[in-house]
Amino acid sequence: MFLDLDKQKKDALALIDNEDNRITYGELVKLMNAVGEQVEPRSLIFMLCKNTVGSMAGYLGFIEHEAVPVMLNAKIDPDLLQNLLDLYTPAYIWMPVEEEEHFEYEKVFEIYGYVLLKTGNKIYSLNEQLQLCMTTSGSTGSPKLVRYKKGNLELNAKNVAIAFGWTEKERPICDLGMQYTMGLNVINTHLYVGATVLLTTYNLMSGEFWDYIKRERATNFTGVPFSYDIFYRLHFEQMDLPDLQTLSQGGGKLTDDRFIQLAEYAQKTGKRFIPSFGTTETSARMACLPAELACIKTGSIGRAIPGGELFLIDENGNVLTDPVAEGEMCYRGPNVTMGYAICKEDLKKGDEFHGVYRTGDLARRDEDGCYFVTGRLSRFLKLLSYRVSLDQSERLIQQEFNIECACAGTDKRMNIYITDERKKDEVLEFISKKTNLFKNQFKVFVVSEIFRNDSGKIQYKVLDSTYAG
Amino acid sequence: MNNREKYNEIFVSIFGVKEEQLDGTFNFNNIESWDSMTHLMLIGELEEIFDIMLETDDILHFGGYQNGMTILKKYGVDFAD
Repeated sequence: MFLDLDKQKKDALALIDNEDNRITYGELVKLMNAVGEQVEPRSLIFMLCKNTVGSMAGYLGFIEHEAVPVMLNAKIDPDLLQNLLDLYTPAYIWMPVEEEEHFEYEKVFEIYGYVLLKTGNKIYSLNEQLQLCMTTSGSTGSPKLVRYKKGNLELNAKNVAIAFGWTEKERPICDLGMQYTMGLNVINTHLYVGATVLLTTYNLMSGEFWDYIKRERATNFTGVPFSYDIFYRLHFEQMDLPDLQTLSQGGGKLTDDRFIQLAEYAQKTGKRFIPSFGTTETSARMACLPAELACIKTGSIGRAIPGGELFLIDENGNVLTDPVAEGEMCYRGPNVTMGYAICKEDLKKGDEFHGVYRTGDLARRDEDGCYFVTGRLSRFLKLLSYRVSLDQSERLIQQEFNIECACAGTDKRMNIYITDERKKDEVLEFISKKTNLFKNQFKVFVVSEIFRNDSGKIQYKVLDSTYAG
Repeated sequence: MNNREKYNEIFVSIFGVKEEQLDGTFNFNNIESWDSMTHLMLIGELEEIFDIMLETDDILHFGGYQNGMTILKKYGVDFAD
Protein backbone atom coordinates (compact mmCIF):
# COMPACT_ATOMS: atom_id res chain seq x y z
CA MET A 1 0.00 0.00 0.00
CA PHE A 2 1.10 3.59 -0.65
CA LEU A 3 3.52 4.69 2.12
CA ASP A 4 2.92 1.31 3.82
CA LEU A 5 0.01 2.90 5.66
CA ASP A 6 -1.61 -0.47 6.32
CA LYS A 7 1.50 -1.62 8.20
CA GLN A 8 1.09 1.00 10.95
CA LYS A 9 -0.70 0.35 14.23
CA LYS A 10 -4.40 0.53 13.41
CA ASP A 11 -5.37 2.47 16.51
CA ALA A 12 -2.49 4.97 16.36
CA LEU A 13 -3.52 8.49 15.37
CA ALA A 14 -2.48 9.37 11.81
CA LEU A 15 -4.08 12.75 11.16
CA ILE A 16 -5.42 15.56 13.29
CA ASP A 17 -6.74 18.75 11.71
CA ASN A 18 -8.11 22.01 13.01
CA GLU A 19 -11.62 21.05 11.94
CA ASP A 20 -11.69 18.74 15.00
CA ASN A 21 -11.01 15.55 13.09
CA ARG A 22 -8.82 12.82 14.61
CA ILE A 23 -8.19 9.85 12.34
CA THR A 24 -6.35 6.64 13.18
CA TYR A 25 -4.25 4.71 10.66
CA GLY A 26 -6.97 2.06 10.54
CA GLU A 27 -9.61 4.66 9.73
CA LEU A 28 -7.35 6.37 7.23
CA VAL A 29 -6.94 3.19 5.21
CA LYS A 30 -10.73 2.78 5.09
CA LEU A 31 -11.19 6.43 4.11
CA MET A 32 -8.64 6.09 1.32
CA ASN A 33 -10.48 3.14 -0.11
CA ALA A 34 -13.84 4.85 0.18
CA VAL A 35 -12.59 7.84 -1.82
CA GLY A 36 -10.36 5.87 -4.18
CA GLU A 37 -13.17 3.53 -5.26
CA GLN A 38 -15.10 6.49 -6.64
CA VAL A 39 -12.64 7.17 -9.44
CA GLU A 40 -11.39 5.23 -12.41
CA PRO A 41 -7.75 4.11 -12.31
CA ARG A 42 -5.45 6.16 -14.55
CA SER A 43 -7.78 9.13 -14.57
CA LEU A 44 -6.45 12.64 -13.98
CA ILE A 45 -7.86 14.42 -10.93
CA PHE A 46 -7.45 18.07 -9.97
CA MET A 47 -7.04 18.41 -6.21
CA LEU A 48 -7.82 21.79 -4.70
CA CYS A 49 -5.75 21.25 -1.58
CA LYS A 50 -6.16 22.42 1.99
CA ASN A 51 -4.36 20.93 4.96
CA THR A 52 -7.34 18.97 6.25
CA VAL A 53 -8.34 15.33 6.62
CA GLY A 54 -10.73 15.57 3.65
CA SER A 55 -8.02 16.82 1.32
CA MET A 56 -5.58 14.14 2.54
CA ALA A 57 -8.12 11.33 2.12
CA GLY A 58 -8.44 12.27 -1.54
CA TYR A 59 -4.72 12.53 -2.20
CA LEU A 60 -3.92 9.18 -0.58
CA GLY A 61 -7.00 7.40 -1.92
CA PHE A 62 -6.47 8.50 -5.52
CA ILE A 63 -2.84 7.43 -5.54
CA GLU A 64 -3.67 4.10 -3.92
CA HIS A 65 -6.27 3.50 -6.63
CA GLU A 66 -3.85 4.36 -9.44
CA ALA A 67 -5.45 7.67 -10.35
CA VAL A 68 -3.18 10.71 -10.85
CA PRO A 69 -3.78 13.80 -8.70
CA VAL A 70 -2.67 17.26 -9.83
CA MET A 71 -1.96 19.20 -6.65
CA LEU A 72 -3.30 22.76 -6.65
CA ASN A 73 -3.95 25.30 -3.95
CA ALA A 74 -7.61 25.59 -2.95
CA LYS A 75 -7.04 29.35 -3.12
CA ILE A 76 -5.86 29.19 -6.73
CA ASP A 77 -6.58 32.18 -8.95
CA PRO A 78 -9.82 31.34 -10.86
CA ASP A 79 -8.31 32.35 -14.22
CA LEU A 80 -5.33 30.07 -13.72
CA LEU A 81 -7.58 27.20 -12.65
CA GLN A 82 -9.72 27.66 -15.76
CA ASN A 83 -6.61 27.71 -17.90
CA LEU A 84 -5.41 24.47 -16.31
CA LEU A 85 -8.85 22.86 -16.68
CA ASP A 86 -8.88 23.71 -20.39
CA LEU A 87 -5.34 22.45 -20.89
CA TYR A 88 -5.41 19.20 -18.96
CA THR A 89 -9.16 18.28 -19.02
CA PRO A 90 -9.20 16.25 -15.78
CA ALA A 91 -11.95 13.67 -15.32
CA TYR A 92 -12.58 14.73 -11.71
CA ILE A 93 -12.01 17.57 -9.27
CA TRP A 94 -11.64 17.01 -5.51
CA MET A 95 -12.41 20.24 -3.71
CA PRO A 96 -13.56 21.80 -0.45
CA VAL A 97 -17.34 21.73 -0.21
CA GLU A 98 -17.44 25.55 0.01
CA GLU A 99 -15.92 25.87 -3.49
CA GLU A 100 -18.53 23.62 -5.09
CA GLU A 101 -20.95 26.44 -5.93
CA HIS A 102 -18.46 27.83 -8.46
CA PHE A 103 -18.78 24.73 -10.64
CA GLU A 104 -21.61 23.07 -12.45
CA TYR A 105 -20.23 19.58 -12.63
CA GLU A 106 -21.98 16.52 -11.25
CA LYS A 107 -21.27 15.75 -7.59
CA VAL A 108 -20.52 12.07 -7.05
CA PHE A 109 -19.17 11.81 -3.50
CA GLU A 110 -18.67 13.81 -0.33
CA ILE A 111 -16.62 13.16 2.79
CA TYR A 112 -14.98 15.28 5.53
CA GLY A 113 -15.81 18.61 3.93
CA TYR A 114 -14.58 17.58 0.49
CA VAL A 115 -16.57 16.78 -2.64
CA LEU A 116 -15.74 14.83 -5.78
CA LEU A 117 -17.06 16.39 -8.96
CA LYS A 118 -17.14 14.53 -12.25
CA THR A 119 -16.35 16.84 -15.14
CA GLY A 120 -17.57 14.60 -17.97
CA ASN A 121 -14.21 15.00 -19.69
CA LYS A 122 -13.05 11.89 -21.47
CA ILE A 123 -10.32 9.91 -19.71
CA TYR A 124 -7.18 9.82 -21.82
CA SER A 125 -4.09 7.70 -21.55
CA LEU A 126 -1.30 8.70 -19.18
CA ASN A 127 2.21 7.34 -18.89
CA GLU A 128 1.99 4.21 -16.78
CA GLN A 129 4.70 5.41 -14.40
CA LEU A 130 2.99 8.76 -13.72
CA GLN A 131 1.79 9.05 -10.12
CA LEU A 132 1.18 12.75 -9.40
CA CYS A 133 1.67 16.25 -10.82
CA MET A 134 2.65 19.46 -9.10
CA THR A 135 2.98 23.02 -10.29
CA THR A 136 6.55 24.28 -10.39
CA SER A 137 6.37 25.83 -6.90
CA GLY A 138 6.16 29.12 -8.71
CA SER A 139 3.25 31.45 -8.71
CA THR A 140 3.59 33.23 -12.03
CA GLY A 141 0.44 31.50 -13.12
CA SER A 142 2.41 29.04 -15.17
CA PRO A 143 0.44 25.98 -16.30
CA LYS A 144 3.68 24.00 -16.26
CA LEU A 145 3.57 20.81 -14.21
CA VAL A 146 6.24 18.53 -12.80
CA ARG A 147 5.59 14.86 -13.47
CA TYR A 148 6.20 12.52 -10.51
CA LYS A 149 6.77 8.85 -11.18
CA LYS A 150 5.85 5.93 -8.95
CA GLY A 151 8.39 5.60 -6.16
CA ASN A 152 9.41 9.30 -6.01
CA LEU A 153 7.21 10.24 -3.08
CA GLU A 154 7.69 7.06 -1.11
CA LEU A 155 11.45 6.90 -1.48
CA ASN A 156 11.87 10.54 -0.57
CA ALA A 157 9.62 10.00 2.46
CA LYS A 158 11.72 7.04 3.54
CA ASN A 159 15.12 8.67 2.99
CA VAL A 160 14.17 11.96 4.59
CA ALA A 161 12.73 10.09 7.59
CA ILE A 162 16.11 8.38 8.01
CA ALA A 163 18.04 11.64 7.63
CA PHE A 164 15.90 13.37 10.26
CA GLY A 165 15.64 10.34 12.53
CA TRP A 166 11.85 10.53 12.70
CA THR A 167 9.91 7.94 14.69
CA GLU A 168 6.23 7.25 15.37
CA LYS A 169 6.50 9.56 18.39
CA GLU A 170 6.73 12.69 16.24
CA ARG A 171 3.84 15.15 15.98
CA PRO A 172 4.77 17.54 13.15
CA ILE A 173 2.79 20.74 12.82
CA CYS A 174 2.09 21.06 9.11
CA ASP A 175 1.14 24.51 7.95
CA LEU A 176 3.00 24.44 4.62
CA GLY A 177 0.37 23.52 2.04
CA MET A 178 0.23 19.92 0.81
CA GLN A 179 0.13 21.26 -2.76
CA TYR A 180 3.65 22.52 -2.16
CA THR A 181 6.41 19.94 -2.52
CA MET A 182 8.01 20.66 0.85
CA GLY A 183 4.63 20.64 2.60
CA LEU A 184 3.70 17.30 1.07
CA ASN A 185 7.09 15.84 1.92
CA VAL A 186 6.74 16.72 5.60
CA ILE A 187 3.37 14.95 5.68
CA ASN A 188 4.51 11.86 3.72
CA THR A 189 7.69 11.50 5.74
CA HIS A 190 5.80 11.35 8.99
CA LEU A 191 3.01 9.06 7.77
CA TYR A 192 5.71 6.70 6.57
CA VAL A 193 7.01 6.27 10.14
CA GLY A 194 3.56 6.04 11.70
CA ALA A 195 3.69 9.45 13.41
CA THR A 196 0.71 11.74 14.11
CA VAL A 197 0.47 14.54 11.57
CA LEU A 198 -1.02 17.80 12.84
CA LEU A 199 -2.57 19.45 9.80
CA THR A 200 -3.46 23.08 10.02
CA THR A 201 -5.00 25.83 7.94
CA TYR A 202 -4.34 28.40 10.66
CA ASN A 203 -2.17 31.32 9.85
CA LEU A 204 1.16 31.57 11.68
CA MET A 205 0.18 35.07 12.74
CA SER A 206 -2.95 33.95 14.56
CA GLY A 207 -3.44 33.03 18.19
CA GLU A 208 -5.19 29.86 17.04
CA PHE A 209 -2.01 28.53 15.45
CA TRP A 210 -0.02 28.85 18.65
CA ASP A 211 -2.85 27.46 20.76
CA TYR A 212 -2.96 24.48 18.39
CA ILE A 213 0.82 23.87 18.62
CA LYS A 214 0.65 23.92 22.41
CA ARG A 215 -2.61 21.98 22.79
CA GLU A 216 -1.54 19.20 20.42
CA ARG A 217 2.04 19.18 21.71
CA ALA A 218 3.72 19.51 18.33
CA THR A 219 7.24 18.09 18.28
CA ASN A 220 8.58 19.54 15.05
CA PHE A 221 7.98 22.34 12.59
CA THR A 222 9.18 22.91 9.03
CA GLY A 223 9.13 26.46 7.75
CA VAL A 224 10.23 28.59 4.85
CA PRO A 225 12.35 31.68 5.60
CA PHE A 226 9.22 33.82 5.88
CA SER A 227 7.84 31.48 8.58
CA TYR A 228 10.88 32.24 10.70
CA ASP A 229 10.51 35.97 10.11
CA ILE A 230 7.10 35.60 11.71
CA PHE A 231 8.45 33.42 14.52
CA TYR A 232 10.94 36.08 15.48
CA ARG A 233 8.41 38.85 15.10
CA LEU A 234 6.34 37.00 17.69
CA HIS A 235 9.34 36.58 20.01
CA PHE A 236 8.94 32.81 19.75
CA GLU A 237 12.30 32.35 21.46
CA GLN A 238 10.63 33.55 24.65
CA MET A 239 7.70 31.17 24.35
CA ASP A 240 7.44 28.06 26.44
CA LEU A 241 7.39 25.24 23.87
CA PRO A 242 8.83 22.22 25.70
CA ASP A 243 7.47 19.63 23.25
CA LEU A 244 8.80 21.33 20.13
CA GLN A 245 12.14 19.60 19.60
CA THR A 246 13.07 20.13 15.95
CA LEU A 247 12.91 23.16 13.70
CA SER A 248 13.54 22.53 10.05
CA GLN A 249 13.75 24.89 7.13
CA GLY A 250 13.50 24.73 3.37
CA GLY A 251 12.10 26.72 0.46
CA GLY A 252 14.77 29.35 -0.09
CA LYS A 253 17.74 30.71 1.73
CA LEU A 254 17.67 32.15 5.23
CA THR A 255 19.77 35.22 5.82
CA ASP A 256 22.98 34.39 7.68
CA ASP A 257 21.75 36.35 10.69
CA ARG A 258 18.55 34.34 10.92
CA PHE A 259 20.45 31.09 10.38
CA ILE A 260 22.79 31.87 13.27
CA GLN A 261 19.90 33.00 15.44
CA LEU A 262 18.09 29.68 14.91
CA ALA A 263 21.22 27.59 15.35
CA GLU A 264 22.04 29.35 18.63
CA TYR A 265 18.48 29.14 19.87
CA ALA A 266 18.48 25.39 19.23
CA GLN A 267 21.82 24.90 20.94
CA LYS A 268 20.81 26.89 24.00
CA THR A 269 17.46 25.13 24.42
CA GLY A 270 18.65 21.61 23.56
CA LYS A 271 16.53 21.48 20.41
CA ARG A 272 17.59 20.66 16.85
CA PHE A 273 17.78 23.09 13.93
CA ILE A 274 17.96 21.28 10.58
CA PRO A 275 18.13 23.37 7.40
CA SER A 276 17.32 21.45 4.24
CA PHE A 277 17.18 21.91 0.51
CA GLY A 278 14.82 20.62 -2.12
CA THR A 279 12.91 21.36 -5.29
CA THR A 280 9.63 20.31 -6.84
CA GLU A 281 11.61 18.40 -9.48
CA THR A 282 13.19 16.18 -6.82
CA SER A 283 9.99 15.39 -4.86
CA ALA A 284 11.21 17.85 -2.25
CA ARG A 285 14.33 17.14 -0.25
CA MET A 286 17.79 16.51 -1.68
CA ALA A 287 19.94 17.57 1.25
CA CYS A 288 19.94 18.52 4.88
CA LEU A 289 22.48 19.79 7.38
CA PRO A 290 22.96 17.56 10.44
CA ALA A 291 21.79 19.44 13.53
CA GLU A 292 25.21 19.17 15.20
CA LEU A 293 26.75 21.20 12.35
CA ALA A 294 24.22 24.05 12.44
CA CYS A 295 26.40 26.21 14.68
CA ILE A 296 29.55 25.88 12.58
CA LYS A 297 28.24 25.77 8.99
CA THR A 298 26.25 28.96 8.68
CA GLY A 299 24.20 29.04 5.50
CA SER A 300 24.93 25.44 4.52
CA ILE A 301 22.35 23.00 3.17
CA GLY A 302 24.56 20.12 4.32
CA ARG A 303 24.94 16.88 2.44
CA ALA A 304 22.74 14.65 0.29
CA ILE A 305 20.06 12.61 2.04
CA PRO A 306 20.53 8.82 2.16
CA GLY A 307 20.02 7.23 -1.25
CA GLY A 308 20.93 10.45 -3.04
CA GLU A 309 24.08 12.12 -4.29
CA LEU A 310 24.97 15.77 -4.78
CA PHE A 311 27.67 16.80 -7.23
CA LEU A 312 28.95 19.89 -9.00
CA ILE A 313 29.56 20.47 -12.71
CA ASP A 314 31.37 23.20 -14.59
CA GLU A 315 29.94 25.23 -17.48
CA ASN A 316 30.87 22.47 -19.92
CA GLY A 317 28.98 19.89 -17.92
CA ASN A 318 32.10 18.17 -16.51
CA VAL A 319 31.87 16.82 -12.98
CA LEU A 320 34.15 18.69 -10.56
CA THR A 321 36.17 16.10 -8.71
CA ASP A 322 38.14 18.31 -6.30
CA PRO A 323 36.75 17.99 -2.76
CA VAL A 324 36.49 21.77 -2.44
CA ALA A 325 34.83 23.24 -5.53
CA GLU A 326 32.17 25.56 -6.87
CA GLY A 327 29.84 24.93 -9.80
CA GLU A 328 26.29 24.10 -10.77
CA MET A 329 24.73 21.80 -8.21
CA CYS A 330 23.26 18.56 -9.50
CA TYR A 331 21.49 15.71 -7.76
CA ARG A 332 21.12 12.03 -8.49
CA GLY A 333 18.59 9.92 -6.59
CA PRO A 334 15.37 7.93 -6.61
CA ASN A 335 13.31 11.05 -5.85
CA VAL A 336 14.19 12.78 -9.14
CA THR A 337 10.94 13.15 -11.07
CA MET A 338 10.32 12.39 -14.76
CA GLY A 339 10.23 15.87 -16.26
CA TYR A 340 7.75 18.61 -17.08
CA ALA A 341 4.42 18.88 -18.81
CA ILE A 342 3.04 21.95 -20.51
CA CYS A 343 0.06 20.24 -22.15
CA LYS A 344 -1.90 17.04 -21.67
CA GLU A 345 -0.02 15.19 -24.41
CA ASP A 346 3.10 15.56 -22.24
CA LEU A 347 1.48 13.36 -19.59
CA LYS A 348 2.12 10.40 -21.87
CA LYS A 349 5.86 11.06 -21.90
CA GLY A 350 8.32 8.79 -20.13
CA ASP A 351 11.24 9.65 -17.86
CA GLU A 352 13.26 12.55 -19.30
CA PHE A 353 15.41 13.29 -16.25
CA HIS A 354 16.71 9.71 -15.92
CA GLY A 355 17.38 10.13 -12.22
CA VAL A 356 19.57 13.24 -12.50
CA TYR A 357 18.47 16.82 -11.92
CA ARG A 358 20.44 19.97 -12.66
CA THR A 359 19.25 22.50 -10.10
CA GLY A 360 20.31 25.66 -11.89
CA ASP A 361 21.80 26.76 -8.56
CA LEU A 362 25.45 27.59 -8.09
CA ALA A 363 26.94 25.97 -5.03
CA ARG A 364 30.22 25.64 -3.17
CA ARG A 365 31.38 22.42 -1.51
CA ASP A 366 33.66 22.69 1.50
CA GLU A 367 36.33 20.38 2.90
CA ASP A 368 33.74 18.48 4.94
CA GLY A 369 31.56 17.81 1.91
CA CYS A 370 28.93 20.34 2.97
CA TYR A 371 27.22 22.36 0.25
CA PHE A 372 26.44 26.09 0.26
CA VAL A 373 24.13 27.58 -2.37
CA THR A 374 25.79 30.75 -3.62
CA GLY A 375 23.64 31.93 -6.51
CA ARG A 376 21.51 30.95 -9.44
CA LEU A 377 22.26 30.30 -13.07
CA SER A 378 18.81 30.87 -14.43
CA ARG A 379 16.60 33.89 -14.35
CA PHE A 380 14.43 33.13 -11.34
CA LEU A 381 13.77 35.01 -8.17
CA LYS A 382 12.56 33.54 -4.92
CA LEU A 383 10.11 36.06 -3.58
CA LEU A 384 8.90 35.02 -0.13
CA SER A 385 9.94 31.47 -1.02
CA TYR A 386 7.90 31.40 -4.21
CA ARG A 387 9.90 30.82 -7.32
CA VAL A 388 8.99 33.48 -9.83
CA SER A 389 10.30 33.36 -13.37
CA LEU A 390 11.60 36.70 -14.58
CA ASP A 391 11.23 35.75 -18.22
CA GLN A 392 7.67 34.67 -17.73
CA SER A 393 6.79 37.80 -15.75
CA GLU A 394 8.23 39.82 -18.60
CA ARG A 395 6.17 37.96 -21.18
CA LEU A 396 2.96 38.30 -19.15
CA ILE A 397 3.37 42.06 -18.86
CA GLN A 398 4.30 42.47 -22.52
CA GLN A 399 1.27 40.48 -23.62
CA GLU A 400 -1.18 42.19 -21.30
CA PHE A 401 -0.15 45.77 -22.02
CA ASN A 402 1.65 45.49 -25.32
CA ILE A 403 4.57 47.49 -23.96
CA GLU A 404 8.31 47.10 -23.68
CA CYS A 405 9.31 45.57 -20.38
CA ALA A 406 12.29 44.04 -18.56
CA CYS A 407 12.19 42.21 -15.21
CA ALA A 408 15.22 41.88 -12.95
CA GLY A 409 16.03 42.32 -9.27
CA THR A 410 16.90 40.16 -6.27
CA ASP A 411 15.12 37.71 -3.97
CA LYS A 412 14.09 40.71 -1.91
CA ARG A 413 12.23 42.50 -4.71
CA MET A 414 11.56 42.23 -8.42
CA ASN A 415 12.45 45.33 -10.42
CA ILE A 416 10.22 45.91 -13.41
CA TYR A 417 11.39 48.34 -16.07
CA ILE A 418 8.90 49.87 -18.50
CA THR A 419 9.03 52.87 -20.79
CA ASP A 420 5.35 53.78 -20.79
CA GLU A 421 4.66 55.93 -17.75
CA ARG A 422 0.86 55.67 -18.06
CA LYS A 423 0.96 51.95 -17.33
CA LYS A 424 3.00 52.15 -14.13
CA ASP A 425 0.22 51.50 -11.61
CA GLU A 426 -1.58 48.99 -13.78
CA VAL A 427 1.56 46.91 -14.26
CA LEU A 428 2.11 46.75 -10.52
CA GLU A 429 -1.51 45.78 -9.91
CA PHE A 430 -1.36 43.17 -12.66
CA ILE A 431 1.86 41.42 -11.68
CA SER A 432 0.84 41.36 -8.02
CA LYS A 433 -2.43 39.68 -8.97
CA LYS A 434 -0.85 37.21 -11.38
CA THR A 435 1.79 36.07 -8.92
CA ASN A 436 -0.47 36.27 -5.88
CA LEU A 437 2.27 38.20 -4.14
CA PHE A 438 1.92 41.48 -2.38
CA LYS A 439 2.80 44.70 -4.19
CA ASN A 440 5.78 45.47 -2.00
CA GLN A 441 7.56 42.51 -3.62
CA PHE A 442 7.79 44.56 -6.83
CA LYS A 443 8.94 47.96 -7.90
CA VAL A 444 8.11 49.44 -11.27
CA PHE A 445 10.63 51.85 -12.79
CA VAL A 446 9.69 54.06 -15.72
CA VAL A 447 12.84 54.47 -17.81
CA SER A 448 13.58 56.29 -21.04
CA GLU A 449 15.25 53.28 -22.54
CA ILE A 450 15.62 49.58 -21.78
CA PHE A 451 19.34 49.00 -22.23
CA ARG A 452 20.35 46.33 -24.70
CA ASN A 453 23.74 45.16 -25.90
CA ASP A 454 24.77 45.05 -29.55
CA SER A 455 23.06 41.74 -30.15
CA GLY A 456 19.81 43.07 -28.72
CA LYS A 457 19.97 41.24 -25.37
CA ILE A 458 18.54 43.16 -22.45
CA GLN A 459 21.26 44.23 -20.01
CA TYR A 460 19.54 43.42 -16.74
CA LYS A 461 22.54 44.08 -14.53
CA VAL A 462 23.04 47.52 -16.03
CA LEU A 463 19.37 48.35 -15.50
CA ASP A 464 19.50 47.27 -11.86
CA SER A 465 22.72 49.11 -11.10
CA THR A 466 21.57 52.27 -12.88
CA TYR A 467 18.08 52.54 -11.44
CA ALA A 468 17.75 50.25 -8.45
CA GLY A 469 21.28 50.28 -7.05
CA MET B 1 -1.76 64.22 10.23
CA ASN B 2 -3.47 62.93 13.38
CA ASN B 3 -3.18 59.40 14.66
CA ARG B 4 -6.48 58.28 13.15
CA GLU B 5 -5.35 59.47 9.72
CA LYS B 6 -1.97 57.78 10.07
CA TYR B 7 -3.67 54.58 11.22
CA ASN B 8 -6.07 54.63 8.26
CA GLU B 9 -3.31 55.32 5.79
CA ILE B 10 -1.42 52.21 6.93
CA PHE B 11 -4.49 50.02 6.38
CA VAL B 12 -5.26 51.57 3.01
CA SER B 13 -1.74 51.02 1.71
CA ILE B 14 -1.26 47.50 3.07
CA PHE B 15 -4.62 45.99 2.22
CA GLY B 16 -5.14 48.01 -0.94
CA VAL B 17 -8.62 49.20 0.11
CA LYS B 18 -10.49 52.50 0.22
CA GLU B 19 -10.70 54.42 3.46
CA GLU B 20 -14.52 54.10 3.45
CA GLN B 21 -14.17 50.34 3.86
CA LEU B 22 -12.47 50.71 7.21
CA ASP B 23 -15.03 50.03 9.93
CA GLY B 24 -15.99 47.50 12.60
CA THR B 25 -16.41 44.75 9.99
CA PHE B 26 -12.89 45.15 8.60
CA ASN B 27 -11.19 42.16 10.15
CA PHE B 28 -9.07 39.11 9.58
CA ASN B 29 -11.98 36.84 8.66
CA ASN B 30 -13.59 39.14 6.11
CA ILE B 31 -10.67 40.54 4.19
CA GLU B 32 -9.19 38.32 1.51
CA SER B 33 -5.84 40.10 1.48
CA TRP B 34 -5.42 39.85 5.27
CA ASP B 35 -3.02 36.92 5.54
CA SER B 36 0.15 36.23 7.49
CA MET B 37 2.22 38.37 5.15
CA THR B 38 0.02 41.46 5.27
CA HIS B 39 -0.39 40.94 9.00
CA LEU B 40 3.37 40.96 9.44
CA MET B 41 3.65 44.12 7.37
CA LEU B 42 0.82 45.78 9.26
CA ILE B 43 2.48 45.19 12.62
CA GLY B 44 5.82 46.41 11.27
CA GLU B 45 4.30 49.62 9.95
CA LEU B 46 2.31 50.33 13.11
CA GLU B 47 5.39 49.88 15.26
CA GLU B 48 7.42 52.15 13.06
CA ILE B 49 4.86 54.92 12.57
CA PHE B 50 3.75 55.04 16.21
CA ASP B 51 7.19 54.19 17.61
CA ILE B 52 5.95 51.37 19.81
CA MET B 53 6.79 47.71 20.39
CA LEU B 54 3.83 45.33 20.45
CA GLU B 55 3.76 42.27 22.69
CA THR B 56 3.25 38.81 21.20
CA ASP B 57 -0.31 38.46 22.43
CA ASP B 58 -1.28 41.80 20.99
CA ILE B 59 0.29 40.92 17.64
CA LEU B 60 -1.59 37.61 17.53
CA HIS B 61 -4.89 39.20 18.47
CA PHE B 62 -4.60 42.23 16.26
CA GLY B 63 -7.47 40.83 14.25
CA GLY B 64 -9.38 43.86 13.04
CA TYR B 65 -9.38 47.56 12.30
CA GLN B 66 -11.56 48.47 15.29
CA ASN B 67 -9.97 46.23 17.88
CA GLY B 68 -6.55 47.35 16.67
CA MET B 69 -7.25 50.82 17.96
CA THR B 70 -8.17 49.43 21.38
CA ILE B 71 -4.86 47.59 21.44
CA LEU B 72 -2.84 50.62 20.38
CA LYS B 73 -4.43 52.73 23.10
CA LYS B 74 -2.70 50.47 25.64
CA TYR B 75 0.58 51.65 24.16
CA GLY B 76 -0.39 55.27 24.55
CA VAL B 77 -1.56 55.93 21.01
CA ASP B 78 -4.40 58.41 21.35
CA PHE B 79 -7.17 58.34 18.77
CA ALA B 80 -9.27 61.19 20.18
CA ASP B 81 -9.56 63.89 17.52
